[in-house]
Amino acid sequence: MTIGGEDLKTAQTGTVGRSIPRLEAAAKVAGRAEYVHNLQLPGMLHGKIFRSPIAHGRIKRVDVSAARAVAGVHRVVTGEDVRAIVADPHYGPAFHDQPILAFEKVRYAGEPVAVVLASDPHAAEEAAQLIDVQYEALPAVFDEVEAMTSKAVVHEVLRPAGAFPDLRHLQGRKNTNVALDFHLRRGDAGGAFSRADRVFEHTFHTQQVLHVPLEPFVSAAEPGEGSVTIHTASKSPSFVRVEVARLLGWPENRVRVKVPYLGGGFGAKLYIKLEALVTVLALLTRRPVKIALTMEEQFYTLTRHAASLRIKSGVTKEGRITARECEVWWNGGAYADIGPRVTQKSGFTAPGPYDIENVSIDSYALYTNLPPAGALRGFGIPQLVWAYESHTDMIARELAMDPVEFRRRNILRDGRPQATGTVMKDAAIEKVLERLAARMEWKKPFERGSGTRRRGRGIAIGFKASISPTTSVAIVNLYADGSCALYCSTVDMGQGSDTAMAQIAAEVLGIPVEAITVVHPDTDVTPYDMATLGSRSTYHMGNAVRRAAEDARDKLLAAAREAGLPAETTPIAEVFRRKYGMQAGNIVGTGSFIPAYTPTDHDTGQSPNVTPFWMVGGTGAEVEVDTETGRVRVTRLVNVADVGKPVNPRIVETQLSGAAVMQLGFTLFEKMQFDGGQVTNASLAEYKIPGMRDIPVMENEAVDGAERGGPFGAKGVGETGTFSVSPAIANAIEDAVGVRLMSLPLTPEAVYRALRAKQGKPLDD
Amino acid sequence: MTPFELVEPHTLREAAGLLASAEVRPLAGGTAVMLMMKMGVLRPARLVSLRAVEKRYSEIAAAGGELRIGALATLSALERSPLVARAAPVIAQTLRMLANVRVRNVATVGGHLAHADPHMDLPPVLIALGARVSIIDPAGGRTLPLGELYTGYLETTLGRNELVAEVTVPAQGSRRAAYLKCTTRSADDWPALGVAVVLEADGALVRDARVVISAATDTPTRLAAAENALRGARVDEAVLRRAGDAAASEAAVIGDQHGSAAYKRELLRVCLARAVRAVLDEQ
Amino acid sequence: MLGALTKDLGVAVRTIRFKLNGEPVSAEVPPHWNLVELLQNRFGLTGARESCGQGLCGCCTVLVDGAAVSGCLYLALLVDGAEVMTIEHQAAGGGLDAVQKAFIEAGAFQCGFCTPGFVLMTRQLLDENPDPTEDDIRHYLSGNLCRCGAYPEIIEAVKLAARMRKAER
Repeated sequence: MTIGGEDLKTAQTGTVGRSIPRLEAAAKVAGRAEYVHNLQLPGMLHGKIFRSPIAHGRIKRVDVSAARAVAGVHRVVTGEDVRAIVADPHYGPAFHDQPILAFEKVRYAGEPVAVVLASDPHAAEEAAQLIDVQYEALPAVFDEVEAMTSKAVVHEVLRPAGAFPDLRHLQGRKNTNVALDFHLRRGDAGGAFSRADRVFEHTFHTQQVLHVPLEPFVSAAEPGEGSVTIHTASKSPSFVRVEVARLLGWPENRVRVKVPYLGGGFGAKLYIKLEALVTVLALLTRRPVKIALTMEEQFYTLTRHAASLRIKSGVTKEGRITARECEVWWNGGAYADIGPRVTQKSGFTAPGPYDIENVSIDSYALYTNLPPAGALRGFGIPQLVWAYESHTDMIARELAMDPVEFRRRNILRDGRPQATGTVMKDAAIEKVLERLAARMEWKKPFERGSGTRRRGRGIAIGFKASISPTTSVAIVNLYADGSCALYCSTVDMGQGSDTAMAQIAAEVLGIPVEAITVVHPDTDVTPYDMATLGSRSTYHMGNAVRRAAEDARDKLLAAAREAGLPAETTPIAEVFRRKYGMQAGNIVGTGSFIPAYTPTDHDTGQSPNVTPFWMVGGTGAEVEVDTETGRVRVTRLVNVADVGKPVNPRIVETQLSGAAVMQLGFTLFEKMQFDGGQVTNASLAEYKIPGMRDIPVMENEAVDGAERGGPFGAKGVGETGTFSVSPAIANAIEDAVGVRLMSLPLTPEAVYRALRAKQGKPLDD
Repeated sequence: MTPFELVEPHTLREAAGLLASAEVRPLAGGTAVMLMMKMGVLRPARLVSLRAVEKRYSEIAAAGGELRIGALATLSALERSPLVARAAPVIAQTLRMLANVRVRNVATVGGHLAHADPHMDLPPVLIALGARVSIIDPAGGRTLPLGELYTGYLETTLGRNELVAEVTVPAQGSRRAAYLKCTTRSADDWPALGVAVVLEADGALVRDARVVISAATDTPTRLAAAENALRGARVDEAVLRRAGDAAASEAAVIGDQHGSAAYKRELLRVCLARAVRAVLDEQ
Repeated sequence: MLGALTKDLGVAVRTIRFKLNGEPVSAEVPPHWNLVELLQNRFGLTGARESCGQGLCGCCTVLVDGAAVSGCLYLALLVDGAEVMTIEHQAAGGGLDAVQKAFIEAGAFQCGFCTPGFVLMTRQLLDENPDPTEDDIRHYLSGNLCRCGAYPEIIEAVKLAARMRKAER
């Protein structure tokens, strides 16, 4: 097999393809790994945020006098103070809609309104409770479908950021909560429905959930002479630099952004979160300022979109899906964040991994008066797969067909166009389905339990297009003794990117991975990277690193040739000694990567190339349902994925299983509860995430695959394990006890109520 | 958290004497007090640490068919005590699922009982076993059945200057007991319902029964009608159904984020039956 | 920082003495600091971290007189006279112990934020119960949360550490 004429190099002797431990393993088990959480700067002030208690209202008066009078308080800063430094203090990746601190209006309960600064965080916290703000309450909207037509309008006027051509038509639009509408039309769905033997239509719902990185959001800023240095737990240092520079009207080179390790990210720590705020506070006070959110405050910062999903399919009596129509409403909360991209990118694959001639998709990003929603491990895909794989299973049952066989008949194969018209390549959908069926021993009889314990099993399969087009740049710096530094702005938040990137560079350079240091993101030092998101790094940054390493290798070989040395056998240090006359100098290789992409047509959503690669993930679940309590125990979870050729198989496996564990929580019990827009379970005591006793027997498999465009055949994996967990479990529940749940989470009460309804004895409220 | 003064008296009675105003709070293990201070719901001017009081209030002893547990014994001391394992194995079984190891290492029995959060696991178990609680004040003290300590959510009959000193638990003896902790979200969640059942039985014939539930009600609640349905009965499905119906109708079940009241009543029927079966199967 | 605090708030700062990772130390502590703040602000030790703030996640695990506690719920003043051990404590000769090596070997962490807590709790578990069953492991560690979901690998690491400790003896 070859890539661009080169051998696909995954020799067993090489570094790529080996399960070496993480580079930072020893530091992490010894508690010495560096996080912004640990950072203390001389003279540093701590900021504590005062937040709006109401979901929507006009700010009438802000009285900070009592707070200012608290002993130890350095300063209290309001939205009006921010405007003294930043005339238009609105930020955001898709829309410039979010103020650094609220002024004139608040749009969700929990929105930052003021900040107290003090050397002692306890004093700041105490004072923040004394801030008095008067509001004129405005009508609020919380439900995403209601937001389509609601008289309550969250933003007076839409302010797209301008970077995205597909948002330009929304500039200046008024009296709407629709922050993006994505439409896709392929074939003639309406006609196909009328010709279909059977038509099925279902509506599904998903709930707001939270990322819950154990290191909560934290940022600090140090003012310099006409410059600022930001230390932040961010997955997008390059974006932070660009956006903060834009807000300040400064050139990029006066904003420095540094990121050490992250204590988890999962999509939360992207774009601007606290960075603009700490920057303004540092510039106002001329002191370093740090804001570290509490666990509670994470609930007011960024959530995952709740969604309502209507899906309709036309099917022949032989079990071929001929048409599918999807309508999706995404609850984006008060600020768009990256929601419009979630709406659009997930829209590409809304009909699922099936070969369907006639497709119609309408997907809407909506503003509501809830905390903002953004990216969360899967970028909308887990919500969509929840709907289409529940729907697919329901159709198979109605047709009395085996669910695996039904999928087999409709599966999207390489070489066939997908809903956007892009032809599938290197997407092992069929292989994932078949390996899943094999691992689940689908053809064998299944022990179904008895009495009050009923067992069932289910499968589901989903896929995702990568985020495109996005840029990564890397630098490889060979030192004179043959050791090497790799400069890249990919953020290691636990996914193992430092290790994977070092393995790629080591493979190209033919040096041991231990000889490579990965320089953490520092925008004064490491080159641009779009962000660490959407499972893009292995592919995009991996390619950039590979190119940078190849560039360095080629320069090294040229230097050897110039010195008359045998290029393949001379030690690196010897080449340097000959070239520079002593142990001195550098050989610097650079590489950048941006994949090809063709924007989708605005009206039809069609494009010959929507993604550089496809991610495919399937899950099989075995469950035991307690028919007397509705409690579901997942006894076995099998995750099968196409990840291309893994750079580090062990880390890849833990990415799959870790993602599945997270999605297991979103499936069974995680749910943000609201009362009038106010979160009522903003703590880990009341918002439960999976613990050790919630974990089933897990099996993970990366199918034998290769991504021709990826570095050494690799592609992204961080999100793949999330795709199919929810519908696999719901399908298994129906298999066990014959009830179908249409909303997440699948709580014991929801299952129990469904069982009672099925018996004709619905439980009263 | 706001600053306060910390004092450490050497006797429990002295400690009680220091609790004169609402601004002063006792601190034993401190897990609940710290949580409430962090949330800002408790802002004491002074904390009275009980750590330096007489050692006997941390001891666990068995005598005369009773366990005497000092209020300052930690939950993990209780969990590991061979005396407890022998006299009341249901307590040790309950502790394994109570909060987590770190909380059990620090939290005390007295604090656990006096906090009066209905989600706590030990109160229903100890009440079902017939525990009595001794209370000390600056002048003297009183003793009362543990069940009578609770008057509402986070509310007890404890006066401002009263402290739990000791809890006395009759050994299980020939009685058999079980505690079912029913969670509806993650396994380590607070319970939606706790059911403690203590039976005196010959085979399936129940001579005496105590049923106490927690978490689904404002206070740990003894279910007399359910006990009556079990007492004197030879347990079969019909008896369990009657006991479950009685429990579901007599308990003042409240709905919350763990489940609606209607659902928790169903849970109560099921868990009561399961707890009784677990006890009888153990014989 | 402390100077400003005591002056402004009139807080009675107390000097406490205790053993920290085997070394006798003393520190001036305001009453409302918790143990994590003491370790971070006075000794620059950041391996115990406050995350959930409610004793539920285990990121702030510290050993006080040999027992694991949640540093975020433990008043700093209460370690006066105690022996405090943190993840930064190194056994004689330095280097990693069996539990740490097993965590690396099993790939039992991703972001690493919860890892010190898991390592300390695993040591406690194996001290008490050198040969735990999987059920024992799940119960003992149920009060430690890992949002990266490395639980299967952590269970594997605990079993491996138990074997490694046995082999060492």
